[in-house]
Amino acid sequence: MIDQITLQVVSSAFRSICEEMGAALIRASFSTNIKERRDCSAALFDAKGELIAQAEHIPVHLGAMPDAVAAVIPEKPAAGDIFILNDPFRGGTHLPDITMVAPVEAGGRIIAYAANRAHHADVGGIQPGSMPAASVRLDEEGVVIPPTRLVAGGRLEEEILASLLRGMRRPRERRGDLEAQAGACRIAERRLQELIDSKTLSVVMAAMETAMDYSERRMRAAIAALPDGVYRTEDFLERDGADLKIAVTVTIEGEEILIDFKGTSPQEKGNLNCPMAVTRSACHFVLGAVTDPDIPPNAGALRPVHITAPAGSLVNALPPAAVAAGNVETSQRIADAVALALSKVLPLPAQGQGTMNNVTLGSEEGRTAFNYYETIGGGAGGCPETEGTSGIHVGMTNTLNTPVEALELTFPLRVERYELRLGSGGDGKHRGGDGLIRSLMMLAPARLSLLCDRRRRTRPARQKPGERKRGSRKSVDGAGGRGRGHDGNTGRRWIRSTRGVIELQPPKLVRNVKIDASGGPLNL
Amino acid sequence: MKELDRAGSLEPSGVSARSFLLGVDVGGTFTDAVLLGAGRVFRAKLPTTADQSEGVIAAARLVLERAGVDAVSVEWFGHGMTTATNALLERKGARTAAVATAGFRDILEIGRQNRPRLYDLCPQRPSPLVERKMRLAANERVTPEGEVKPLLKEEMARVAAELKNLKPEAVAVCLLFSFLDPSHEQSLGSLLRKELPGVHISLSSQILPKFREYERFSTTAVDAYLTPVVSRCLKKLEWRSKKAGLPEPAIMQSNGGVLPLHEASGRAAPLLLSGPAAGVVGALFAGALSSVDNMIALDMGGTSTDVTLIGNGSANLTDEREIGSFPVALPIMDVHTIGAGGGSIARVDAGGALKAGPESAGARPGPACYGNGGTNATVTDANLCLGYLGGSLGGNGWVKLYPHLAAGAMKRLAAELEMGLEEAALGVRQVADAEMVKALRVISVERGHDPRQFVLAAFGGAGPMHAADLARELGISKVLVPASCGVLSAMGMVAGDRRRDWVMTVLNPQGWSGRTLREAFRKLEDISAAAGMSGASFVRQADLRYKGQSHELTVRVGQPYSRARLSAVFEKAHENAYGFSFKGEDVELVNVRLAAVVALGHLRGKAAASVWNKTAGRKQGAPEGQRPAFFDGEWLSTQIWRRERVGGRRIAGPAVIEEDEATTVVPPGWAAFFDKVENLWLEAV
Repeated sequence: MIDQITLQVVSSAFRSICEEMGAALIRASFSTNIKERRDCSAALFDAKGELIAQAEHIPVHLGAMPDAVAAVIPEKPAAGDIFILNDPFRGGTHLPDITMVAPVEAGGRIIAYAANRAHHADVGGIQPGSMPAASVRLDEEGVVIPPTRLVAGGRLEEEILASLLRGMRRPRERRGDLEAQAGACRIAERRLQELIDSKTLSVVMAAMETAMDYSERRMRAAIAALPDGVYRTEDFLERDGADLKIAVTVTIEGEEILIDFKGTSPQEKGNLNCPMAVTRSACHFVLGAVTDPDIPPNAGALRPVHITAPAGSLVNALPPAAVAAGNVETSQRIADAVALALSKVLPLPAQGQGTMNNVTLGSEEGRTAFNYYETIGGGAGGCPETEGTSGIHVGMTNTLNTPVEALELTFPLRVERYELRLGSGGDGKHRGGDGLIRSLMMLAPARLSLLCDRRRRTRPARQKPGERKRGSRKSVDGAGGRGRGHDGNTGRRWIRSTRGVIELQPPKLVRNVKIDASGGPLNL
Repeated sequence: MKELDRAGSLEPSGVSARSFLLGVDVGGTFTDAVLLGAGRVFRAKLPTTADQSEGVIAAARLVLERAGVDAVSVEWFGHGMTTATNALLERKGARTAAVATAGFRDILEIGRQNRPRLYDLCPQRPSPLVERKMRLAANERVTPEGEVKPLLKEEMARVAAELKNLKPEAVAVCLLFSFLDPSHEQSLGSLLRKELPGVHISLSSQILPKFREYERFSTTAVDAYLTPVVSRCLKKLEWRSKKAGLPEPAIMQSNGGVLPLHEASGRAAPLLLSGPAAGVVGALFAGALSSVDNMIALDMGGTSTDVTLIGNGSANLTDEREIGSFPVALPIMDVHTIGAGGGSIARVDAGGALKAGPESAGARPGPACYGNGGTNATVTDANLCLGYLGGSLGGNGWVKLYPHLAAGAMKRLAAELEMGLEEAALGVRQVADAEMVKALRVISVERGHDPRQFVLAAFGGAGPMHAADLARELGISKVLVPASCGVLSAMGMVAGDRRRDWVMTVLNPQGWSGRTLREAFRKLEDISAAAGMSGASFVRQADLRYKGQSHELTVRVGQPYSRARLSAVFEKAHENAYGFSFKGEDVELVNVRLAAVVALGHLRGKAAASVWNKTAGRKQGAPEGQRPAFFDGEWLSTQIWRRERVGGRRIAGPAVIEEDEATTVVPPGWAAFFDKVENLWLEAV
């Protein structure tokens, strides 16, 4: 029997270990996307691969990481090993998100796994930055890494690493980031060993169990407090031609909840497909937010939640589907849809901008080769009591922006403007937040790729007829642009589509890319 | 060079008959003074005055009078303050405008674009310190390649004219890349100083010359917002101390170092946690005397309570703190503050729950029992109703307490709660305790530290009155109540190590050598000597990173200076902190840091403690008397002791130990005794 204080100290220590793992990764990494935007997450798992604790990092990573550990366990990891993977159909989500998993040994057996996931600035594929707008097959999006033993018995497998790096752009930076991920795993392992030394193995093991049971009790109580019923809704992702439908049925029955996606569009030709891990992530995020955000997020909290989706659908895609945008855009819409279904019985805010506005710029040409990835915040939806916040990330991401100064010190581009897009939030009793304007000027040739949504359908759910918010829009100045679905507008092209690839080529290098993120709609 | 010129005007120390060290700390409720000299410690505590400098001088006079010496005997005068923090938390700073590079006027509002709490569907940000209509854009642009758009004279004139219309008291100038090329900020700054006389101008390139615009702009806006308020206070203090014949005060900074007043008063951002930092320095001093390395410092005053985790004899410095949700990217002692103290007002909220704080009755009117017209029941009133306090604070009559007024206020609260008087008083105390336990957990349990492996160091006027209960709640079995616990922050100022810090950024981070280090440190050491830190010992550090990283690791620099040697130290530290080293890669030297430490006060404090120990401390005596006090649901006859009469005894609870500035409660199940250096210990038995 462990006393209350020990239990709390040990479960908080699990969480601090995750936080330290994340902090070590951020501080030691080399690419802007990790060291400045903090697009990474860290978590601890027990020997069965059940989530023990995680730090508050990126929602879309967190709910999906158990699948990574589950994919590694059959490979029989031993002490001193570190596994690497990014295959969306074997524990990953989309290819830029590379996960490392390290077993922790105590008393002669594996007792836990330390895992972290980071979004790499490039993992190869047809487009620098590896977030292609136009991919149709997974292998176009980059190097696919099945669960692979990268460190064996404490020794880095140099040949494996070298072969992975060969397929990626900017190998030195990649190597640095991968070493930082492996290092962060080792830090977590050391801290867990120290905790075992000071509290004993049996106490630490018991605390894992107890913490999960505790979260389960709290989650059950929180679900029980929600009104029983069956709540159905649908929401859409924009696609040239026919829009894609996310259909969701949320069934609340006593202490349990079932989220089913029957009726959702089949997986598509493009890259909006999600592996099931991403879908689960989005559901868990919404549940965390609408129940009690203070419930320690671990496997116990997930026990009363059941998620099902038809195989081969947009939200449970099968290989070899392309998935680059599923993780960032479809995940947003899944979260929107689940929240929308629950908003029938809960006082939830209106939907926010509903996109991450993924901007990827890169070039492969010699001296100025670079890969830059950014997601741009927008408006949060109006809330039951307050206005929505402006210029902020909603839903499945919570990355930081790249500071203008960090960006210009690293990449051949200049930021011309980064300001609130005043008046873009939906009007109403509680206004939606305003979007952002971020204008970039290229100083070298580059290829631009955009992945975003909520551009045509600018009247998301829960908005009164006749009141519109301004949708997001993207423009590229100057001639020579080759975008999909843009309309010419005296030298300025508004890209009407939700995705586009544009070559920005010399001799006229100066190109101005302006991204107007949408505001959040109002609340009824 | 500026450093040298300014330092030249400093009085040389140690040449006159001045041999006493004076420390004055201003809290929200009380102003504390400590005078150290001739192997003795003298203390005073007075209510904080509206014009804080008045109270500072009054407390200084009182403590000098107690020592029987004149102001001319004061060699050094240290001062800690809470003006800056309070003005920020209460949003009572100056009317502030900002000038940003055109296209970037919203940086202060957008921040880093993230939401503070992950699972918050309705994320709210505090309104920025500078609202949008007070934020102007200047047409100019500097990039890493240099200036691409000049800041023209006409543009500066336009900005100045627009600013004039806004009637600001302070302006934050926040231009992109000013950390690389400060010339635009500097020219705009000098024009604004001319055109807007009396308006404080903070330049981001001066406040924090580092990349990452939001953190730099935020720190600069905080500085602009607070400096007018702080410098008004300090100017008055300067004038009053001169008039009183005291030396120029040295101001405690958030990192535990000190700056002479004339240097400190132009920049408020580094003073944000001045007072709390002094408390930590005091706790470190007391802990060092009693050989305690791991402790949790609990500084409970009248208005707020500061808690700090001290591991291996030092407190963490961090530059990633937010204060009132605004990033302040300067090194700050990692102190956690909550709005609960002795003066916290108890009330029943809309939901019928009992709350204590964050509103405080302050020193005036103060708790109901002060008899100054306060009618609200406070935590102090509860302590009086429960018998923990007697007829006056500290039992020596300097603040007389009126039990019937406390009881009257508490009865009104009890009626609202429909409960008995003792029950209500106990409730108020427990609610305040719960807040403090929460704060103590945040810095220990929630960071994975087991509080049971720490000593709870309790100080501030109210800390020792609550310490044993808090310790019990956290499973801590040992409480340290330092000598001078009621005024320990002021004690920290005189007895703690006196430290000043200098940083120099290396111009060519890649092409460095042992010589780069030698020259940089020599220069910093010269600056330190010129600043009057003669006889200081030095701590030399360097911030290093691998090429391509943007966070540095700070490591100690040993001698002889050599690149290979320092790189090896860095690689080892990197492996330790991050689990790997990037072998064969270039190591960049970003900053060189020098801390000059004068242990003078520490030595004298130590000497005073030992002298005191031989004389006053060992006087044995009898208890002053007894009175009923309420413990565990019943009134128990409780011995009342004067701290100086406890001597070598071990006192079993229930007991109350009174000293001039504080009261220690020893509940049943606890025992109290002194150690060799006159620190009091409470131990669970």
